Amino acid sequence: MDEQQVLIEVSDLVQKFFLKTVLNGISFRLFPGESLGIFGLRGSGKTTLLHILAGVDRFTSGTVQVLGCNICKSQRFKQATGLVTQEPSLFQDLTVLENLDFIAGLKNAGPADIERVIDQMELKDCLRYPAAALDAGLYQRLSLACALLNAPRLMFLDELIKDIDLYSRHLMLQGLEPFLNSGGGLVCGFSNIEFADYFDRVGWLEKGQLEFYEPQAAREKWELLLYSFKKPGDVKNV
Amino acid sequence: MRREFSYMWRDRGLRNILLLGPLLGLFLFMAIYHTQNIKDIPTAIVDLDRSSSSREIAEKMKSTEDLKVVSYPANYQQMEELIRRGEIIVGVVIPENFARDVALHRHTRILMIIDASNTAYATNASTAVLGVTRTISAEAGIKTLLAQGMDPVTARNTYMAVDFKEEGWFNPTLNYIYFLVLAMALNMWQQCCTITASINIIGETGVKSWLQIKAAGFSKGRLFFYKSLAHIITFMVLVIPVYIFAFGVFKLPLACSFGTLLLFTLLFAIALHSVGTLMSSAANNAVDSTRFGMMVALPSFVLSGYTWPIEAMPKLLQPVVWIFPQTWFFQGFNYLSFKNPGWEFMGSYFCALLIIAFICYSLASLLTAWMER
Repeated sequence: MDEQQVLIEVSDLVQKFFLKTVLNGISFRLFPGESLGIFGLRGSGKTTLLHILAGVDRFTSGTVQVLGCNICKSQRFKQATGLVTQEPSLFQDLTVLENLDFIAGLKNAGPADIERVIDQMELKDCLRYPAAALDAGLYQRLSLACALLNAPRLMFLDELIKDIDLYSRHLMLQGLEPFLNSGGGLVCGFSNIEFADYFDRVGWLEKGQLEFYEPQAAREKWELLLYSFKKPGDVKNV
Repeated sequence: MRREFSYMWRDRGLRNILLLGPLLGLFLFMAIYHTQNIKDIPTAIVDLDRSSSSREIAEKMKSTEDLKVVSYPANYQQMEELIRRGEIIVGVVIPENFARDVALHRHTRILMIIDASNTAYATNASTAVLGVTRTISAEAGIKTLLAQGMDPVTARNTYMAVDFKEEGWFNPTLNYIYFLVLAMALNMWQQCCTITASINIIGETGVKSWLQIKAAGFSKGRLFFYKSLAHIITFMVLVIPVYIFAFGVFKLPLACSFGTLLLFTLLFAIALHSVGTLMSSAANNAVDSTRFGMMVALPSFVLSGYTWPIEAMPKLLQPVVWIFPQTWFFQGFNYLSFKNPGWEFMGSYFCALLIIAFICYSLASLLTAWMER
């Protein structure tokens, strides 16, 4: 693929927190229309990686190019990216509409964009609810709506569909389809291997290293791991 | 209950405040008021007679414990200017022909002017002046009696020959309402403002929603500029009704124009906000930042020298109190409300507040950038 079209290019990325090396020399590329799932268990460094890519955290060494920008030198790429964080990061004391309005202001998006994402994520009936009062599914829909406000080319979604109602999951996945079809790129952190099939590629993050698998292969690796921990006398293993 | 004790003990910030706060307060206020009364009250003597008798009076004034003669203005106008600028608290005017009148046993009057704009200072100054005048008056009378052996009526007149007339300026009745009410209200206002400003930065960076702002790539400078602007506008909106009631309804004195006072208050609000912002940039969380705010806001009024002159505080403390914008504000407020000494004099007060704001905002920016790394 043409070098110009690479959405993300990461080379030898290292992130250390005091003595702990969380990311140890990670390298990969993401191309338009591609969805990359970063799989890992709790504490494996998924959120750290996503926050670095989104430009909200600094890193120890390596180079990260996002949408053609060296993220250490320029913040311009943020005009065309969206982030949904694992922990609730919307303005808890604001209502749904106020959140959309304020974040639209931050992202230079207009009223038409707000209308668009409200329709897309079906938020019309809860516009006056405080963000803190939303259930998990609605909250994630609002988070995704906020991330989509600036019609991004690249999105970073951390545990977007974990532990939420099926309708919200369906709505969000449906909303992401046109985004990917139009050449957008997606990097998602997830810790439930069942979601592997939603991605084109799965990056398995463990001990600071990232290994890439086809979704099916990633599931098989997980099954093998589970199998290796089963005892010979286990009923389910017979 | 045991759990609560345990929580209070584990919270290092709270523990320090609870354990050290009252003791620190005691030591601080003890240090401030340790002199018990004000000595070395800056005094100017206008000797219009320039005779040996008048010089004798001046020498007596000079040798008293509580008064410190710092200037000998040539005329009344110069002395008036000195008192307006706060350079002296007591002004002594020895009239022309003083020596001749004393020699002829005529009634003569020495004018003692006391700057009454600071009631605490004025009360001390008045007591000190009274002590001096009584002594001088009695000495003059007794000397004459002994030398001339006059009849009782003449002797009495002679005894009272040197009359001292005390004049309190700016707040002649030493009215505590004029002196304290608005200042106390402004003290409460500045405390509320400091605490509000003290969560300016940490209130954003210390919560998860900061990620949204960072991810959007929104300029931090722009964000905090508008946030600060909203704070400062709020501070001013809060203080304007206080001023309207104070000057319009309660008729408290205001020597300067309302616009000048508002401009001065605006600069103070900015400086105060900058101090709060600096604290909020250095704190680990909003709770700690609010505690810092309280620690600065609560003693700042006493330290400002409004109720107890800075000159009477310990030498070590005197330069320190000028770091706080509250000191510049309350000192300047006293001048503006009672004396209006003019732009030339007040310029330094306006500039000081601007400099404090510039330094604190700059440091806050650097600290925020550093903490983000």
